[in-house]
Amino acid sequence: MTDEHDKLLPIANIGRIMKQILPPSAKISKEAKETMQECASEFICFVTGEASDRCHKENRKTVNGDDICWALSSLGFDHYSEAMLRYLHKLREFERQRANQSNYKASSSTEEKDEATSSAASAPSFDFEILEKGGRSSPKP
Amino acid sequence: MRQAGAYSKLVSGGRSGPHALPLARIKKIMKNSSEEVKMISGEAPIVFSKACELFIEELTKRAWAMTLQGKRRTMQREDVASAVITTDLFDFLITLVSDSVPAQESLPVLEP
Repeated sequence: MTDEHDKLLPIANIGRIMKQILPPSAKISKEAKETMQECASEFICFVTGEASDRCHKENRKTVNGDDICWALSSLGFDHYSEAMLRYLHKLREFERQRANQSNYKASSSTEEKDEATSSAASAPSFDFEILEKGGRSSPKP
Repeated sequence: MRQAGAYSKLVSGGRSGPHALPLARIKKIMKNSSEEVKMISGEAPIVFSKACELFIEELTKRAWAMTLQGKRRTMQREDVASAVITTDLFDFLITLVSDSVPAQESLPVLEP
């Protein structure tokens, strides 16, 4: 197999997300975190596959945020899908504002080569509380 | 970043922080998932970053319920496996966790 770590999300990030949702006294074994890593990757593959199928059927080359939302809903993750659509809407609004403000050309979220994650990499680091029920989603590092 | 700060106040009451999961890694996993996946918009990994967080949170909560059932305070691999087995929505993970299913519990035995 090629580098396994490329196919998994970092265990530190996974562990952090898990800890946030559990009581402070809870402990998580390394094996449990590893299993969660594998499950998260499988989740991404599963949803991406569905999204990609849809693109293929509609003769589109680029998998976008709407496709992910649709795939989530199609696979039974309706509760994620609704939150994601709101998130995506705000994200696009933000990107539009930013593009207008700084006359930023090119890198938008429409069809592009896959090198364009520079726009994603420099995406604003904001935290959407629409998904929260009053808690925090991103811990301070 | 001025813009990030200004915007984050709008939607999150002042909190801002990096994405919980690395976007480049998410994108790699997406591309690995199938030959068909060639181009990915910039926003797709961002959406996944949040969706994965929700997924991990949900699976973790369910796994913790299994931990508590076992009267323990440390979540084990088998708790995650049990949570998968007992949640229809996570059927796609059954093969992945099937080697971690605890033998003692009366859960359905599934052929991979």
